[in-house]
Amino acid sequence: MNKWRFIILSVCIITLAGCAETKILERISITTLIGYDLEDNDKVSTTAVIRQVNPEFESKVDTISAENYTSKGTRAKINLKTSKKIMAGQLRVVLLGDELVKNDIGPTLESLSKDPDISSSISLAVVEGKAKPLIEHKYENIKDIGQHIYMLLEQNVEREHSISSTLHEVSRVYYSPLSDLILPVLKKKDDLVEISGIAFFNDAKMVGQLPSSDGFFVKISRDNYKSGILEIIINANGLASQSDQNLPDEVPISIDAIKTVRKLKLIDSSDLEFDLNIKIKGRILELHPDVNVGNPRLVKELEKAIDKKITSEISRVIAYSQEINADVYGFGEHYRSHVRNSKLTSEKWHEIYPKIKVNVQVDFETIRSGVFE
Amino acid sequence: MKNTLEISPKDMINAFLLFFVITTCQTGVGIQGFQRLIYADAKHDAWISVILAGLSSHIIVFFMIKTLELYGSNDLYGIHQDLFGKHLGNLLNFIYILYCSVAFFLILENYIEVISTWVFPRLNPKFISISLLLLVIYTFLGGLRVIVGVSFFSFLLGLWLLPVLIFPLKFSNIEYLLPILDTDIISILKGAQSMTFTIIGFEIINIIYPFVKEKDKVKRHVHLGLLVTSFIYLTVMLITLTYFSGEQLAKTIWATLSLFSIIRLPFIERIEFITICFWLIIILPNLCFYLWAAYRGSIRLFNVSSKKFVWIFSTIIFIFSLFVQTRIQINTYTTYLSKVAFILVFIYPVVLYILALMKKKFSGKYGEKNE
Repeated sequence: MNKWRFIILSVCIITLAGCAETKILERISITTLIGYDLEDNDKVSTTAVIRQVNPEFESKVDTISAENYTSKGTRAKINLKTSKKIMAGQLRVVLLGDELVKNDIGPTLESLSKDPDISSSISLAVVEGKAKPLIEHKYENIKDIGQHIYMLLEQNVEREHSISSTLHEVSRVYYSPLSDLILPVLKKKDDLVEISGIAFFNDAKMVGQLPSSDGFFVKISRDNYKSGILEIIINANGLASQSDQNLPDEVPISIDAIKTVRKLKLIDSSDLEFDLNIKIKGRILELHPDVNVGNPRLVKELEKAIDKKITSEISRVIAYSQEINADVYGFGEHYRSHVRNSKLTSEKWHEIYPKIKVNVQVDFETIRSGVFE
Repeated sequence: MKNTLEISPKDMINAFLLFFVITTCQTGVGIQGFQRLIYADAKHDAWISVILAGLSSHIIVFFMIKTLELYGSNDLYGIHQDLFGKHLGNLLNFIYILYCSVAFFLILENYIEVISTWVFPRLNPKFISISLLLLVIYTFLGGLRVIVGVSFFSFLLGLWLLPVLIFPLKFSNIEYLLPILDTDIISILKGAQSMTFTIIGFEIINIIYPFVKEKDKVKRHVHLGLLVTSFIYLTVMLITLTYFSGEQLAKTIWATLSLFSIIRLPFIERIEFITICFWLIIILPNLCFYLWAAYRGSIRLFNVSSKKFVWIFSTIIFIFSLFVQTRIQINTYTTYLSKVAFILVFIYPVVLYILALMKKKFSGKYGEKNE
């Protein structure tokens, strides 16, 4: 009796397992990259990079696009154009045309978060102009644009050259009423795709953009920073007094292996004054040959000059964000978490934000300066 | 007092197994998405609600065990019959059986809902419910010792899920927890009440008590089990609160599953699909124990064999599951159940203890007079 029960049960388990939905690799096409654009008639146009695995040939990469009123509606239309059903489980990157993000990013984020097929670790990025031409262009050296853009973003986020923009991080900021989001901006340059800048949002709309070179300053004012490289031009007036050689007025300097610790403090809750204290440790990689880094007094002057430069740069990017009213640094969130019963709303905070005062203080410390002095 | 249950030693279980029974009965479908319910009331102080709910479960279990100790070796159904007489007692027994059945049904429906939403959107729910019911029937027919064994393995096999939650910590922002106690006390208590559906399960002690060999060790193991589940809930809640921003959490239906969705391992890209399927092992003891509790009550009302009972029960559950199809229905019923469970699990045991104590005193006096 027990034996028979066991046999029947195992037969059921083995045979019924195949009754669930099957997704056979040869019969599906895998989407790796999707681009959304806003069209003139309020429709969304979707361009998808699709990888198909054929038993005979090696896998083939295609792009297909379609227009409809909802982004999922375009998926149905795209399905009409392929012989294999489209699956989004391997989606890695979603690109958003800048007209779409200047209008409203909300519906796109919501539709992406709703879909259980889509992981919350996919990356988002804004495209300067439209996403469609960037995806559809036949690049000379890029075989699979989907994989290429994914690697491009991933590599730069890992090295901290670009801001991390996973769906989770983006929607977390988007749904938090007191902070605004930033996204990396991609641009097609002849036969290359490059990360050209950072898009600033006010609530759901993109309101401004800074070049990629300011990314470092934006990043260290938002969070702690663990690697990366920075090139700045410092004022050499202070150095001249310590150095026997003649120095030019401005000296370019390159720093890497950077570690920063960011501390934000609300010092006056009625006047809204914040202290932003950033400690940076780094290695001087490249410097004018006449600056002798073996001289401790000179290094001190050098650090002072670097402090001054970075402070002014950070103040500039913060002032820019206040000008376009996009609190991407988390001042609002900090205020809410440190003032009891603040009852702040998004509108109220955005009224206040341009008026807040931020005292930036940077403390740079040279850890070492390479193998050659 | 009279009216004790005679159970042969070979059907009994060791007291330390109660630890696994309690933990696995408490964790189930609730933990997949309890965060947003509590967040809705207590906002970012939801973790305080979790602590309060855990504390109150300890207090209630204290009363439950006290009541059971008054009777030596009997279960809730026997206590009802003794305290309220045959008719009223059986009515209360019937209500409790109904409660166990509805809890069984809603655990099943909630799990099917998760499977349908995340993994197999086009699979027929009937198919899932039949296969789950068959599995439960198979386990149930093995008897109590098999069910306890399942809960033991369910606990051990489910342990790997906790360290996986370290990955989302990378995204945690401690500022989301501040300022502490920003929400007023009433809302925090309300949040604790919203924990009901998630935290219930420990009331199984009412039924399983006569089956335990070493009655003096019951307290220790049950309270240890409660402590561990409270700790698990608190950890999950803290990770969730720092991982999601407020409004985002309010919109996330199964926050625990969404936590898994950010993890990308080199050999498994989407770990949440594995955890969801794995959840079957976590809810299996839940289902079996509610079924068993309903069975223990039913044999007091009718003369029914366990085989007959389980088939009739499963058929009724299956028929009802045909009528519940949408998320909104499941949500509404779950809310009703958690309201009923709050009265039945968190308030009623205290009342029962007072009544049992009074009865003991009175009957003692009468006994003296009669002699």
